[in-house]
Amino acid sequence: MSFVPTRRGALLSVAAVSALMLASPVLAQDVTIEFWGSYGNGGNSTQQDALNDTLIPAFEAAHPGIKVKYVDVPYDSLLQKLTTSAAGGELPDLVRADLGWVPQFADLGVLDPLSDTMPDFQALADATYPGVLATNLYKGKYYGLPLDTNTRVLVTSQAALDAAGLSAPPATFDELKAAAPKLKEAGFSVFADGGLGGWNILPWIWSGGGNITNPEITKSSGYLDSAENIATVRMLVDLYNAGSIPNLIIGNQGATGTSDGLPSGEYANIFDGPWMAGIWRDQYPDFTPIYAPIPAGPGGSVSVVGGEDIVVTASSPHKEAAYEFVRFTQSELFQVEMVKTGQMTVLPAYADQQASIAPFYSTFSEQLKTAKSRLAIAQGGKVDGILSAELTKAFTGEASVKDALTAAATQIDAILAAE
Amino acid sequence: MHSLRPWLTPALFVAPGFLVYTAFILYPMLQAVIISLYDWKIVAGATSTFLGLANYVRAFNDAHLWLSLSNSAIYMLFTVPPQIALGLGIALLLQHKSPAQPLFRVLYYLPVVTSWVVVSLLFKYLFADRGLINFLLGLQVSWLSERGTALVAICALGVWKGIGWSMMIFIAALQGVPGSLIEAAKIDGAGPWQRFVSVTLPAIWPTMGFISIMLVIGGLNVFTSVQAITDGAPGGSTDVVLTHMYRTTFAFLDFGYGSAIAVLLTVLVFALSAFQLRFFRNGATS
Repeated sequence: MSFVPTRRGALLSVAAVSALMLASPVLAQDVTIEFWGSYGNGGNSTQQDALNDTLIPAFEAAHPGIKVKYVDVPYDSLLQKLTTSAAGGELPDLVRADLGWVPQFADLGVLDPLSDTMPDFQALADATYPGVLATNLYKGKYYGLPLDTNTRVLVTSQAALDAAGLSAPPATFDELKAAAPKLKEAGFSVFADGGLGGWNILPWIWSGGGNITNPEITKSSGYLDSAENIATVRMLVDLYNAGSIPNLIIGNQGATGTSDGLPSGEYANIFDGPWMAGIWRDQYPDFTPIYAPIPAGPGGSVSVVGGEDIVVTASSPHKEAAYEFVRFTQSELFQVEMVKTGQMTVLPAYADQQASIAPFYSTFSEQLKTAKSRLAIAQGGKVDGILSAELTKAFTGEASVKDALTAAATQIDAILAAE
Repeated sequence: MHSLRPWLTPALFVAPGFLVYTAFILYPMLQAVIISLYDWKIVAGATSTFLGLANYVRAFNDAHLWLSLSNSAIYMLFTVPPQIALGLGIALLLQHKSPAQPLFRVLYYLPVVTSWVVVSLLFKYLFADRGLINFLLGLQVSWLSERGTALVAICALGVWKGIGWSMMIFIAALQGVPGSLIEAAKIDGAGPWQRFVSVTLPAIWPTMGFISIMLVIGGLNVFTSVQAITDGAPGGSTDVVLTHMYRTTFAFLDFGYGSAIAVLLTVLVFALSAFQLRFFRNGATS
């Protein structure tokens, strides 16, 4: 029997080859994983550009068959978009989530517990800073890996120091209090901030030697309304009443924001993160910020950990591809490229490279050594709302500092009891 | 079967509208009522705990909801009467034909067609500490830092944006006032004010009722401007019912309680509308 090529035979072999191609993962049809984040926030496109022009092309070149579609969502609407998408079963494969959202979404059950599902999770986790990694832990499982980190430090305007005859940014609470009248005379507020939530007030509370809950995060009464916290908040309220802290801090939407007020000569000191360097470089090229540690109080100089984690959604149809991208985010290429755009690395291995890219990072790295993270609870947003509403009353004089802190502690107790 | 035939044609005409109404209005409303009875978990497949009326009890004990409701009520009280009075006044001025009339109609109607978000942000900047309002009035008022003054800014926007709408409806109604009646009143010696009170006002009374009901509904449902101008700041003191509901639902993911607030607001709006309907109907017959 000789082999005679027939039309049917040709068709069959084409079919067989196609089947082989479909079966092989490398030759499979391209999968596209969708990645949501807010890299483009704050009118600064450098991070989004780094991702779209450098990092994603590098990943796609190294992983043929995987395409990454990055969708930029403004930070303010990302939480709502994630929530409605979770309800509609339309979540993307990957999310760059604010570290405060990880417990909230883990609680909803929409995140993939990476510590259970990624075989090499432990090795990746061990390479990161433990304090930053901890923001992914919820009820015994890790739901993500740190992507970038930051913290707030004191940022001071040289013009303000010159105008008030001061030689250096305030290093302690006492120096801050002493500088206030001199700065006021020169037309500057000694300090400005845009709110009274945890991100804003916790550096003061921790540096003042206080805390907002017990270490087990089960009780706030007796901790938030401690003598240390009363003294710290009273110091701020006194400065507010003396006209040295503007009403931006109680949420006046008509006041000048800190990012404009510092370079434009209204405010002498603010707390802010490493991303501001790029924004000021574009918008206030003549302004040179001075970075210094948070003024030390009885508890030392303690700031708050910020940053983002990368999470994989439980509904992702392309988990293996998504894990591959998660691994990529922990690589030297990804981390160092993002450092150049103002995001700090979560891997101590690249800290030296970071310091050589921009010296100002060293103040932030130093501050991160003692920085603490906010409460890792699903209802962290409510705690911010309570702090802001009750502390506002202390600033406007509707309540005494002690009563305001006690009222906030009672409400936070109820939230912790329900967790 | 022949007894069904007379119904078939009207039923077929009604069906498309009814189906759309059922699918996109009735069903979501009923679903919200159901959600309000649970500690609702948003994710499909998750089990939600039945709470009965607990979310409603919580609403009545929620001091912040009462504060938000009082802010919504203040907004309604300070935006509805001015919109009616000014809208009617401008409509009266613009009902007579003149070369400039179309231009003025367009100018007054322009705010109505602008985007809420855009004009809210504009008002936020107008009322900023270093904004145009302070500059023009020579003031140093921190409008948005305090509940009372912040509500002034929010109400001012509501009135400014709403006048054109009531004006347009009033113009249409005024065109329906019979000229012969006005003429007869004139011959009987009625002055302009008497003609307005005794002839024009009764003739446009049903329109007045319609405008009042629509504006009260809109007033209690104020959301976008508050969200964009103050977002409840300082410390939640400028929250209105819908910003409170929105935060409860979408920031704290408390869908059950958020739905309960929505149901309560619907009941309140419905009751107020029924009351006004009665009031304006009695006014028309007496």
